Amino acid sequence: MSTSLWLAVVASALGTLLMRVVPFLWMQRRLNSDTGLNNMPQWLGILGPLMIAAVLGVSIMPVNPSTTSWIATAIGLFVTLLVWWRLRSLGWPVAAGVAVFGLVQLAAYI
Amino acid sequence: MNSVASLSPTRSTLKGVREAIPLLGGYIPVSLSFGVVATQAGFSMWEAAAISALIYAGASQFLFVGMIAVGSPLWLVVAMTLLINVRHVVYGPNLASLLPRSHHWPWLMHGLTDQVFALALTRLPQLPAPERFGWFIGASLLAWGVWIIGTMVGATAGETLTARWPLLGEVMPFALPALFLTMVAPRFTDKRWALALGCTIFSALFFTLYGWSNVAIPLAAACGAICFYMVKFKARRPNP
Repeated sequence: MSTSLWLAVVASALGTLLMRVVPFLWMQRRLNSDTGLNNMPQWLGILGPLMIAAVLGVSIMPVNPSTTSWIATAIGLFVTLLVWWRLRSLGWPVAAGVAVFGLVQLAAYI
Repeated sequence: MNSVASLSPTRSTLKGVREAIPLLGGYIPVSLSFGVVATQAGFSMWEAAAISALIYAGASQFLFVGMIAVGSPLWLVVAMTLLINVRHVVYGPNLASLLPRSHHWPWLMHGLTDQVFALALTRLPQLPAPERFGWFIGASLLAWGVWIIGTMVGATAGETLTARWPLLGEVMPFALPALFLTMVAPRFTDKRWALALGCTIFSALFFTLYGWSNVAIPLAAACGAICFYMVKFKARRPNP
């Protein structure tokens, strides 16, 4: 890679890092200031869960979209939700969902 | 003894590592793909690994090497990379009240990806305050390390691996929607939240289906927020 290309990598990396660090440190300082114990804006608390929901929406899209992969996705998500409903944990629902998704894909492959 | 042992930094770090394992279902195939794409674009294995280690943001890395490969001006490559990553601005403030103050944050926050943020926002409130710092280190370092190693493996043997196990690359990424579903499900606490979350999920899927995956997360979250503030349900009056 040329020097200019390395500079582009470093500029992108530094910019991304600053976008992750600066708002975090700014909010931490604000929370610990004399103006209040917990003065995080309400909209920010609402945006957090919505960002997770958005990441879920983006990740639902199968790697190779087809009727089979969409059906496998729907069944896999249903099983994940079902196991979560029973256990209320993170690990087992994910394992069950991936296993069922894989089985449906495998069944269609065979 | 047990309570002291459970608060040790090593234990909380290992807990973070263990709880971040489901993320790898998404990280491994995508980092392998990035390794393949980067070498096809003319980058060496070490250069691809450096991009993964330094920029460490999936979608923008693909855009970065793609734009370089077609000869785009470098200032535009950097601008577009940063534009895609601008969503990270709202992640840190959401975690600020959950994590202790430390002079290590300027480098530790490098590990704050979409997935680590989602996992941290869900798990940190459930952990005792002294465990949270170690937990974040464990979870974020595992994800970062696997992302770099996955890129290196992808750059050297990615095409062989995906040719030998074609289904693996399709099945493993399902760990991500499954994981995020278990994180979002507990937040369907009332009609207002259910509508806002449902609107966000479907709009994110819609934007992704139509090729807007790079901006789908902030746009969908904005749609959900509008929905949350615009629609208010009246509490049902008890019958006289």
